[in-house]
Amino acid sequence: MTTRRKGARLSPETLGFTFDGRSYSAQVGDTAASALLAAGVRAMGRSVKYRRLRGVMTAGPEEPNALLTVGAKPANVPNVPATQLKLRDGLVLESQNRWPTLRFDLTALLKLGSAYFGAGFYYKTFIWPKWRFWEGLIRRLAGLGAAPGRSDLPAPSYEHTHCDVLVAGAGAAGLAAALAAARTGASVVLAEREPSVGGELEFETARVEGRSAGEWTCAALGELTRLGARVLTDTTLVAGSTGEMVLHTEPAGMPGSARLMKVRPQALVLATGAVERFMAFVDNDRPGVFLLGAAERYLARYGVAVGQRIVLFANHDRVYAAAARLAAGGLQIVAIVDTRVSGAVDAQSREIAADFAARGTLCLAGHAVFAALGGDAVTGALIGPTDGSAAAQTVRCDAIAVSGGWGPAIHAAVQEGGLKRYDETVSAFVAHDASQWRITAGSANGAMQLGVVLKQGVEAGVAAAKHAGHRGPLAAVPAASGDPAPHLEAYWRAPADERQEKNQFVDPQNDVTVADLRATLAEGFIDIEHVKRYTALGFGTDQAKLGGQLGAAIVAELRGETVPAVGTSRLRPPFHPVTLRSIAGHRFGAYLRPARVTPLHDWHVANGAVMEAMGLWMRPRFYLANGGNPTDAGIVEAGRVRTKGGIVDGSTLGKIEVAGPDAAAFLDAMYLSKASTIKVGRSKYMVNLREDGIVLDDGIVLRMAEDRFLATVSTGHADHMLSHFEHYRETEWSAARITLTDVTDAWAVIVVAGPESRAVLTSVLGSPWHDALAGLRHMDVTAGQHEGHDVTVLRASFSGELAFELHCRPVLAVGLWEALVGAGLAPYGLEALDILRLEKGYLVSSEMDGQTTPIDLGMGSLVALGNPCVGRALLDRPAFHESHRGRLVGVRSTDGKSPFLGGAQLTQDAVSAVPVGYITSSAYSPALGEWIGLALVARAVPEGNMLYVRDPLRGGDTTVKVVSPVHYDPKSERMKS
Amino acid sequence: MSRLICPFCGPRELREFEFHKTLPNAGHTPFEQVYLRVDSLTLSVEHWQHIAGCRAWLHIERNPSTGEVLVCRLARSEGVS
Repeated sequence: MTTRRKGARLSPETLGFTFDGRSYSAQVGDTAASALLAAGVRAMGRSVKYRRLRGVMTAGPEEPNALLTVGAKPANVPNVPATQLKLRDGLVLESQNRWPTLRFDLTALLKLGSAYFGAGFYYKTFIWPKWRFWEGLIRRLAGLGAAPGRSDLPAPSYEHTHCDVLVAGAGAAGLAAALAAARTGASVVLAEREPSVGGELEFETARVEGRSAGEWTCAALGELTRLGARVLTDTTLVAGSTGEMVLHTEPAGMPGSARLMKVRPQALVLATGAVERFMAFVDNDRPGVFLLGAAERYLARYGVAVGQRIVLFANHDRVYAAAARLAAGGLQIVAIVDTRVSGAVDAQSREIAADFAARGTLCLAGHAVFAALGGDAVTGALIGPTDGSAAAQTVRCDAIAVSGGWGPAIHAAVQEGGLKRYDETVSAFVAHDASQWRITAGSANGAMQLGVVLKQGVEAGVAAAKHAGHRGPLAAVPAASGDPAPHLEAYWRAPADERQEKNQFVDPQNDVTVADLRATLAEGFIDIEHVKRYTALGFGTDQAKLGGQLGAAIVAELRGETVPAVGTSRLRPPFHPVTLRSIAGHRFGAYLRPARVTPLHDWHVANGAVMEAMGLWMRPRFYLANGGNPTDAGIVEAGRVRTKGGIVDGSTLGKIEVAGPDAAAFLDAMYLSKASTIKVGRSKYMVNLREDGIVLDDGIVLRMAEDRFLATVSTGHADHMLSHFEHYRETEWSAARITLTDVTDAWAVIVVAGPESRAVLTSVLGSPWHDALAGLRHMDVTAGQHEGHDVTVLRASFSGELAFELHCRPVLAVGLWEALVGAGLAPYGLEALDILRLEKGYLVSSEMDGQTTPIDLGMGSLVALGNPCVGRALLDRPAFHESHRGRLVGVRSTDGKSPFLGGAQLTQDAVSAVPVGYITSSAYSPALGEWIGLALVARAVPEGNMLYVRDPLRGGDTTVKVVSPVHYDPKSERMKS
Repeated sequence: MSRLICPFCGPRELREFEFHKTLPNAGHTPFEQVYLRVDSLTLSVEHWQHIAGCRAWLHIERNPSTGEVLVCRLARSEGVS
């Protein structure tokens, strides 16, 4: 029975979890990292390339090594940092990058060859016999974790919100900023990545306004709540751009109860803190090497000692205050190794050092840890003077805590559009911009002393509130005492000879060493972005949080440049790993996009229709009663329309009512031919152009009254066409009197086609319609009523048969449809519709593909009318009239039976690599008993010529003959009968 | 420019709006009107539609370097101003 630990985040209750199949107990509030450390587990994974055994190194999202897989395959969640994973009872955790087990990893044999695995190894090695030969093996070894096969995660919630001031980070600066802003009356959202607020106040021995840091934090939180501020813990600012900030919340530290928030604040305070850096020395990746701040956090939060005998290694004064706290927590400080010469050490620090020295601690100024000793875990440290003036000595220890300074977390500031500059006093990049609405404060801004941090926080809060329009009384800066200024010395790596550099790790997550950086520079990859890509420095979850920063500094050293001259690679979002499930939110499965259905939808589904999505619309593709697949059923359905008749649901057709005294003149400008010449009660097939002369859409325009037209547009184009019309009405036609109304959903459309269509329709609509239907000529329109509701009948054909478009109110649709079926007309679907229109050479989007002009599509006579419509002028460009430009033709197989497919290229001989055109659509024609198609073929190729169909990937090579695009009933006698 | 202030609807998310085109400011022939733009670092004159809102067509002038929206009014008033 282990004793209960005490820590700021722990409750006494216990819970159980498993790691690599073994059971462990933990206390409520533990992270996976703290619980495993408490249980004496050091090794938590292997590295991605060299398969070195690795332990947890940090206590935050910058963790490079201890990435775990949560849950069992296939619904596993990979790459969860153990440091961020708050435990729940029964969690199943696995280490990564090892096979079959963490201790006996066969792939670790790779380590034996690691001398050859430097940067660029894969690029250079696996070129023989060829990359594909090796790819499978390498893919199995590469990458972090294993992607899940499916997701069992519940839908995360999504929230869009806004506020006056968003403060990211609830450490000292963030709390001060949020308080100052909230006191002015501004609405404040305060987001904190950790489960509790306070930041470093959680463990620093500080006093604020005469109270302990903990008491001040509690009081601040209480006041914020009273003032109505929204305080979100477990919530990280993961990305931001153009004023929209993305917050990601995972309350249990586990994906599954996630929330993604998009916040638009009037002003933004970034108090995101700083990420502690480490320093490079030989084998600095061994389990047992920690960041100094991590050692402090594990002790304060979870009552966990990262070691019993610990060596501290730093380049600043904060290490002495930390040493005192760690010693007070029961850790034995074996040595304090300071890279600075003793003259650079603060007086107060020297006093602490003297106390430690008196108690037997080795206090060494001007020294560095050269190497971590040991195998699977640290057993000692090799410590020597940085100037090489004396031999290095070995010190026995079980942990080394390193601190190389702090890198301000400027990710959000830079992603949001800010600049950065190098601050020499902290040897780090800080945010640098003059933005009024985005203010960086505290250690994120390079401030390292509590008094300064609080002052910046208050000032940022006041400025942000003011920017959001709230002024308050001048806010007082809380008086505070805390750790001294760090007096940092820029120091990046311990001395090493060149062959040791392959064990000086710079980016542990990506196994990048000093040797890799040296080799990369020698090969000419000088720029930090090139170095990143050649070595993987700062890849993955790192994004220059831990490894990327150190790497850039060492590149600077190797190049003999300054750090600001080298810079850092781009800091990409998200700041910490976010599951794709969280990003998808509710837009998942059926909620990905809405489905539009016609009034006849339920009938189709109940009567064996196989539905197909066209844009958002669901339409019947074919009916199972006519065949088990679209090809067979389509042939049956299309054949029946020609011999007898059929009905098809045309409700998805876009319908725009254009009304007003200037409607006719407006439509004249919108279409290639004139609408003003259409008589009331008549209709016309018309084509729209884009302003550059390319065909935009086609459709039938009906004139319902002198000042009222119904323009029908393609199903997939309806939204765009409405916008297109509206744009011209609001700009060039803004003085005209026109209304535009989308009436697509106001009318259901049933197309009744075939030789029997008139008789059946007359019998269904009844005697009041007898005369109107009997006298209806091709393209005539008649309006009336049926069962008290409006009905319009247009005689027009998209099949080449005698046909009627029945536009009725949706309430009538099912009744009329069932009556038509009852009277003997069977429904047909899109497949048959496509065969019928292809037999007649009618166009769909395959032909109007955004590259064809009306001249290409055989409408030269309409162009010749000279109607000065939108796009007409640019049709006169010479290139549109050249002989190699395509024109619409029909094609049929030369042998009368071979199939060919849309998309196939056409050439003039069997070997030419220069196509003269391509097939746009094809189908088997039941009326003609062979395959027919439409194609765009160079004008120079005359009708009657044979062309080669070149379709090797689909095995569709054959030959076709160029014919008229109208395959069936060329004089349209059936349609006009 | 994360939000636009629609004359009818007030400040709304950018995702509700759809960009249509940059207005030509060179020449008067049809070709020039359709194809030629004078790129400016500081001023872009554009037409947008509040497609997921009131469907208003908007005349927008903005600074592409800073994202600042200088003018956002109805395109309809173009001839009048």
